[in-house]
Amino acid sequence: MMPAAEQERWEVLEKIGAYAAGELEGEEAREAESLIFERPDYRRLAESYARMLVMLNTFGNEHVEVPEAVINFALRRAYVSAFMRSAEVFLGSLGRSYLDAFVYYLGLRPGPAQEGYGGGI
Amino acid sequence: MSAADRNLALRAARGDVGAFSSLVQEHSGLVYRVSLRVLGARDAQDASQEVWIKVWRNIKNFRGESAFTTWLYRITMNTCLSVRQKESRRDERHYDGEVPFLAEPPGGDADPETAALNAERRVEIEAALEHVRAEHRAALVLRHMEGLSYAEIAEVLDVPDGTAKGWVSRGRAAMLIALSKENGRKPGEAGP
Repeated sequence: MMPAAEQERWEVLEKIGAYAAGELEGEEAREAESLIFERPDYRRLAESYARMLVMLNTFGNEHVEVPEAVINFALRRAYVSAFMRSAEVFLGSLGRSYLDAFVYYLGLRPGPAQEGYGGGI
Repeated sequence: MSAADRNLALRAARGDVGAFSSLVQEHSGLVYRVSLRVLGARDAQDASQEVWIKVWRNIKNFRGESAFTTWLYRITMNTCLSVRQKESRRDERHYDGEVPFLAEPPGGDADPETAALNAERRVEIEAALEHVRAEHRAALVLRHMEGLSYAEIAEVLDVPDGTAKGWVSRGRAAMLIALSKENGRKPGEAGP
């Protein structure tokens, strides 16, 4: 649990941060403004926040080169996975066919029913 | 959401690797950039690869109720936060009550040349981010670097809107404290 005095300091810090980010309206914005006008250190704090937000925005907008290895790895894994799925399906059906043929060869399962002649001779 | 992304995601869910490949080409920048901001250069590549494995495995669960990018942000953030949990936590900078201050850049705030960050500033930002608690950092990155709304941040991090707002607010304050300490450090001085 944070001591009350420290809690209060964080609240002021966060309130001025929210004001600098343009996220406060009405009464909350006026409270932040009066803090900033009353104390020079809070004014410097608001200016520091504004500087930081510009820096973060600039940092976030900088182009980042994605290493080729990331893209190649992702695609290789997907292709291998898709191939394994197809191979599994193919080998599964091939195995079933061989098993069916073997069972039939051993005579464990009767062949297709003979067609009747419809009354015979 | 982008109809093209949705279409590609649905095709990828049916096992179409070509469609998945298009999604990777289109969005690998987002995944790597966010991983880099949250984890730093050392872990960003591994995390990005892990994200794409998860996307391929779970693409069938993507129902198209939210934008594909929101779903992708969520997988990326979950992966990054789980990487962070595995590591020993670095302490958030202690706020001793002294009002943090960030010095004006040499050319002044209005100088357009200072809008581009120099290498020193970039190192300071990366070092300061390390001292912001992982959830707060994630929210801060989404808000002030990726430009997401609070509703989107809440959806990505799977928390109520108020929590998302609180995390951004705390992250912003912690970042300024850390950055002012990094900024005040003499060049060449090692971090903690």
